Amino acid sequence: MMANDSLITLALLIPAFPLVAYLIQAFVGKRLPRMGDWVSVSAIFVSFICASIIFANMWSNFDPNWVVTAHWTWLDSGTAAHPFKLELGVRLDNLAAVMLFMVTLCATLIHLFSTGYMRDYDGKESDGYRYASFFAFLSLFTSAMLALVISDNLFTLFMFWEVMGLCSYLLIGFYRHKPSAANASIKAFMTTRIGDTLLFIGMLALFTQIGSFRFDDIYAAIEQGAFGGETLGFATATFIGFLIFCGTVGKSAQFPLQVWLPDAMEGPTPVSALIHAATMVAAGVYLIIRTFPLLELGGVLPLIAYVGAFTSLFAAILAIKQFDIKKVLAYSTLSQLGYMVLAVGVGAYTASFMHLITHAIFKACLFMASGAVIYAMHHEQDMRKMGDLRKRLPITYKAMLVATLAISGVPLFSGFVSKDAILVSALAYGGFEHPEHMFLPIAGFLTAGLTAFYMFRLMFMTFFGEAGDKKHVEHAHEVPWNMWLPLVVLAGLSLSVLFSGSVTGGLLGHGDFVLGGGNEWFVKLIKAPVVKVDEHFEHLLHQAHLPGMIASVVLATLGIVFSWLVYKSKTIPAEKLAKLWPNFVHKAIDNLYYFDWLYKDVFIKRVFLPFSRLMARFDDLIIDRILVDGWKDVNAVVKTFIGKFDDTVIDEVLVDGVGGSVPQYLGASLRTLQNGKIQRYLMVAAVALLTIYLLIGVL
Amino acid sequence: MFAGIAHNLTIYLAMSTVFFVFGLFTILTRRNAVGVFMGVELVLNAAAINFVAFYALKADSAQSSPWLDGQIFSLFIIVLAAIEAAVALAIVLRVFGAKKNIDPDQVMELRG
Repeated sequence: MMANDSLITLALLIPAFPLVAYLIQAFVGKRLPRMGDWVSVSAIFVSFICASIIFANMWSNFDPNWVVTAHWTWLDSGTAAHPFKLELGVRLDNLAAVMLFMVTLCATLIHLFSTGYMRDYDGKESDGYRYASFFAFLSLFTSAMLALVISDNLFTLFMFWEVMGLCSYLLIGFYRHKPSAANASIKAFMTTRIGDTLLFIGMLALFTQIGSFRFDDIYAAIEQGAFGGETLGFATATFIGFLIFCGTVGKSAQFPLQVWLPDAMEGPTPVSALIHAATMVAAGVYLIIRTFPLLELGGVLPLIAYVGAFTSLFAAILAIKQFDIKKVLAYSTLSQLGYMVLAVGVGAYTASFMHLITHAIFKACLFMASGAVIYAMHHEQDMRKMGDLRKRLPITYKAMLVATLAISGVPLFSGFVSKDAILVSALAYGGFEHPEHMFLPIAGFLTAGLTAFYMFRLMFMTFFGEAGDKKHVEHAHEVPWNMWLPLVVLAGLSLSVLFSGSVTGGLLGHGDFVLGGGNEWFVKLIKAPVVKVDEHFEHLLHQAHLPGMIASVVLATLGIVFSWLVYKSKTIPAEKLAKLWPNFVHKAIDNLYYFDWLYKDVFIKRVFLPFSRLMARFDDLIIDRILVDGWKDVNAVVKTFIGKFDDTVIDEVLVDGVGGSVPQYLGASLRTLQNGKIQRYLMVAAVALLTIYLLIGVL
Repeated sequence: MFAGIAHNLTIYLAMSTVFFVFGLFTILTRRNAVGVFMGVELVLNAAAINFVAFYALKADSAQSSPWLDGQIFSLFIIVLAAIEAAVALAIVLRVFGAKKNIDPDQVMELRG
């Protein structure tokens, strides 16, 4: 165990290393050997070691209430009666330690993978500069994510949240010569901005209530019963909670702001693995996990649960019809994020965070495996052109199979443990406690079956059957070590023993060798702050455990078997299956439920653009024509009078008469001062001012 | 709690003076209009620092206002600086269009 001070220092070093790597890469990266990819990789690896030390400390404490915090005043103004103070700080607890470990691990492997994947594309001498800047962006992004995790307050969290938004813009649009990539990056940036703005409003509302952004202060305020009264007609906690959740909706691509994530697949595949699996989208969920007591107090949890359930089900349906290997994974990410949000909504704090971690690991593996396939296929992403890659990419195939089993929720793999925990909680909440919320468990279980189906569809189409594009498939061969090693490590971490903990907990002397039943180290360590344990709900959870587990295993098996029948043995032809559904269902899926159409053609083209045009009209007609041009007419009348006055009185009498001689002499000498050089004028003014000042001082 | 700032007022004033002088120096010496505007930004920020510093000085006394006037004023300065930059850059663009050059000394149509 280490002293708290050194732990804080260590925590601060974790985001510092990638930040330094970013600076090095940004300024001298292109001049370093190998364009400096080793700088980024080793920086994040050192961060990983620091995070491991923190993780080991957390483990040796093994205390659900373990917290190490430190904070410093950043801005201190205002008065004693009206304090106005912003603080920076670090908060290390079990949540942050686990998160740090996961993020640094995934990021290290993804950096390593990128050294292989990107070299093929942008490592050419002619375009070497872009290879260096790719690693610069990657490092800056990772640094922001790590700093976000250790933040002890919403304010710095929000700052790093925005840095990540910027980096995701840069990375999604990395292939900037492709218009689709450029558009996707703008779309991602603008869409998440909507959520971010609402989140910021929520944070300001929170600040007016408790005068602090720190999580500790928020928890304390909740315990003391703050947040009375109303804001804009809503209970204050509801108002704030809703707006904070809006931030998550944007960042974690939940309904109705889910449109950006599928398009973001235009970015390089390692970027998809880092941003859209392991870190940025997880940050959205991390935010609502951090502010869980506030959301619970505000009563926004049912809304959150419905948004999550809805997103997970509808994204899973979209995934079935995709042929682009990365699009399938994109929709499955939406769907799994929906699971996490659903879990927060039904109060399953631990399950949600566990799924965040397990999902990050297996989804990073899936994305990188798809990247390896794309690399081997010479940047072909259409699954119809793949097939029969099993023997040509044996390591990738095995790693991807493990991760697919994990995401499908097959027992013995990590996804089973976390997904099962979510489904059981949803069942206990929606099935037993509040039967009116029956939609939540139904959507959850349906999604579980669909997930198994479409993920195995991906596996069968990619690795089995006939090769679609024979030339490419026959030339495909296994990727180099720096690309398959990350896959193998992540596949290893997708095994359930690490999470179900009946093994780990027992081995390390922190629990019994009993299957499930809350003995997992995860369940013991990750506990929601402030919120009281509801005995009745705990009882319902135990009741829901067995039926929930059986249902999820049965559904996953059904999904896999069905997928095998359709795409492997082809007993059921896919065309026939498609014909079972009416045409409008296909149309809706092909058009992504018309969301893009709604936003682009209705909101932007029908609402915003006409409004802008109306404003332009107003400017043109009222301001320009009537006010400005009208003023011209008024002036024309005045001008004639003034002109006459000027001609007769001023010019003839005063100027020609009186001022004929004196100004001519003065003007000739003073015109040299008015030389048109504005800096000279200013210099004169400054010197004059200084002289006056000195004179006052002397007198 | 707030005494710290009040007693260190000199530091803040010294800093803002440094900003002001650097800004003025930049304005007077640049041969590039964009550089001149950067100097203007420095001068504006020097003023903003003074506002906040003097507010903090006053904060302890009885006449302190709850409205954070100093900070609000600084915010206004920041907003004005942003607007000024927008207008200024537009002017620079037009000047460049007319003269293919943005040296302020070349823009002397108004000389006597």
